[in-house]
Amino acid sequence: MAAKPAVIVVGADKGGVGKTTVSRTLLDYFNANNVPTRAFDTESPRGTLKRFHPDVTEIVDMTSTNDQMKIFDTLNSAAPSVTVIDVRAGLLSRALASLRDIGFLDAAKGGQITFAVFHILGPSIASLDEIAETASFMTGAKYFLVKNFINDTQFFQWDQSTYNSYFHRIKDATDLTIPKLNEMAFEQVEIASVPFLKFVANKGIRDDAANYSFVLRGYVRHWLANVWSEFDRIKLTDIVGAGKAARSSGEK
Amino acid sequence: MPATPVYIVCSPRPQVGRTLIARLLGEFLLLKNGRVTAFDINLKEPSLLDFLPDITETADVIDTYGKMQLMDRVIVDDGLAKVIDLGFHAFDEFFRMSEQIGFLKEAERRNVAPIILFMADTDRVSARGYDTLREQIPPAHLVVVDNEHVVRGGLPPMMERGRVLRVPALPTFLKTYIGRLTFSFTDYLRQERDSSTELHQWIRRNYTMFRDLELSLVMQRL
Repeated sequence: MAAKPAVIVVGADKGGVGKTTVSRTLLDYFNANNVPTRAFDTESPRGTLKRFHPDVTEIVDMTSTNDQMKIFDTLNSAAPSVTVIDVRAGLLSRALASLRDIGFLDAAKGGQITFAVFHILGPSIASLDEIAETASFMTGAKYFLVKNFINDTQFFQWDQSTYNSYFHRIKDATDLTIPKLNEMAFEQVEIASVPFLKFVANKGIRDDAANYSFVLRGYVRHWLANVWSEFDRIKLTDIVGAGKAARSSGEK
Repeated sequence: MPATPVYIVCSPRPQVGRTLIARLLGEFLLLKNGRVTAFDINLKEPSLLDFLPDITETADVIDTYGKMQLMDRVIVDDGLAKVIDLGFHAFDEFFRMSEQIGFLKEAERRNVAPIILFMADTDRVSARGYDTLREQIPPAHLVVVDNEHVVRGGLPPMMERGRVLRVPALPTFLKTYIGRLTFSFTDYLRQERDSSTELHQWIRRNYTMFRDLELSLVMQRL
């Protein structure tokens, strides 16, 4: 269990860049590493994250004081030490401003709380332009620029000056790469409405035996392993203070 | 329970006798087991479907749907032997997909035994293709087919390290004879009374070779 609470905010101001997908991989990753986790889905009133992880997810409205209290006033008392907040499109800057206003960012800076932001980037200039704005809130936080390959984009790597202006400008930011998942496999998991881990293990919502395509399960397994290797690379379990535990792959 | 065999006859090169081996194997399994299913993954070559239409289905690995249609059936332990005639154009994609989805590991778990029959040739593409397979496939599952008609006694040393099936060349007139769409190896064995003919012996030799291969698989899993 972590020595101090850890909060991971997953967000972007631009929509359709895969925020919830990354949140889902994080919940699966912590689950596989035996790190107790709770999640908040800010896609009020109907949350996508909650659909996949109903047991650990609560839907909240980040702009309401009541719900802010529900998240942040329980950080020390809540049993799971890691809190993942999936911030809906357009709300990241506002959410960070709220965190600053309530003194949360100062607490992170003071080392009382571990705070990490997974800024999900899509393959557009509009998405990359968010980096500078978000970075201004990042003192005391671990800032991850997540290149989410929702298509076959190059993230402007073919134009080195454009690429450098976004990815090498923020000194303390760390790049993360989320590879593209096979489209049919992604859709099949959508239909199944289960965590990726359960899909790989061929299980239904209530852990009942399912009959997903072996090929699609294979693609998801391969993709999830690549995503997790990125989380391993940044030593995510160490960051949240959980250390390295024996991981279960989910597949029996 | 013996494992369900899945034979994948493949090469990254065209014109190496791949469909001939798939035909022979298909007919051998049909004769021995009474049933077999073959998958023809060829777009640009003479195809298995033309020779064995009753037991062959077409398949592709171009898109995910095609891969699902093929692999979700191939991975089933139903006791029905399967033969895949994997066209050269699909070689890279098939084995890339196979590695990504963990085909061999899942096959082991489900009591399915894939046997990759790699059609040897002496060129660089074949050497590279064989290298790719050696990295992915345990030696017990990888068999080199030395088709004398193609390799002409010059099998690359790197391909001789593992198990090798040697298929002798036939004279041109017999090659033409067995190349007719209506020709059946098993029918020939049944109808030709003179068992000393070159073709008779060639077919029997190859059938025996396949039987030995099957037996060795059974022994490995005991």
